[in-house]
Amino acid sequence: MAYNILIVDDSLPMRAVIKKTIRASGVSVGELFEVSNGKDALILLKKQWLDLVLVDYNMPDMNGLELIAEMKKDEFLKSIPVIMTTVEGSRQRIKEFIAKGAADYIRKPFTPEEARDKLYKVMGGAADGDAGPDTSTETLDF
Amino acid sequence: MNILVGVADMKISNDPDSVLVTHSLGSCIGVAVYDQAVHAGGLLHFMLPDSSINPVKAQQNPCMFADSGIPLLFKTLYQLGGKKQRMRVIVVGGAHVNDQEAFFNIGKRNYLAVRKIFWKNNVIIDYQHVGGNGSRTLKLAIKDGRTRLKVSGESELEI
Repeated sequence: MAYNILIVDDSLPMRAVIKKTIRASGVSVGELFEVSNGKDALILLKKQWLDLVLVDYNMPDMNGLELIAEMKKDEFLKSIPVIMTTVEGSRQRIKEFIAKGAADYIRKPFTPEEARDKLYKVMGGAADGDAGPDTSTETLDF
Repeated sequence: MNILVGVADMKISNDPDSVLVTHSLGSCIGVAVYDQAVHAGGLLHFMLPDSSINPVKAQQNPCMFADSGIPLLFKTLYQLGGKKQRMRVIVVGGAHVNDQEAFFNIGKRNYLAVRKIFWKNNVIIDYQHVGGNGSRTLKLAIKDGRTRLKVSGESELEI
């Protein structure tokens, strides 16, 4: 089974980097969705089955914690794990993320290896074994 | 049987009796790749990050540079049936052992070149031992992919 993952970040370049990092991580990924804000994330989450959400903490209108709070109110959405992505790393902030329902956090920018380790930790191990990096969509040198 | 990989050199093998060995990994980087499914592996020892500083040299010896040597390593292993998705990838070296290496930051630049090339080609590193100021030796046993590392002044360890 490949995971469907939603990336929520108000920065277009950052979403592109996160997508690339996840594809390079070796985790078996089905579809990678992206939106720029929490409201669009909620709309998408109600239309599309997603296995995991990566959300930026610091967004205008609805920050990452507020999105988690909204998801927790919904019978279906509350079971979807959310990883908070953040450039911050204070212990207090991390405690806050976990206390308010984040499954985990990951500090930006992160490497493919860090993404792999974090996704496996949250999702409970490899999905159908290691599929290896996704090489289907880009021009590669080797 | 040890097969020596020299500086700016690369060896590939699917002979189960072979152990690929490279020494003197200071600012240089050793990249070891191994595909368990076909019991084939390779070891590259490159010196510099970017072949554009000397394209003629890169033509004569692509193993000298990260951007010419790393693709060659993978593509040659593909010829023995290796597949990138299955490979275990190890990166070792990138130290600054002497003043000149420290001044030009060659070790770090080599490591960054590896990261950049791997990033572009969707390769993840399974194990790395980089930086510092000790010289390293790296060994890859083709029989089973077991890899051993020795840093100068320390005991050899399996990685």
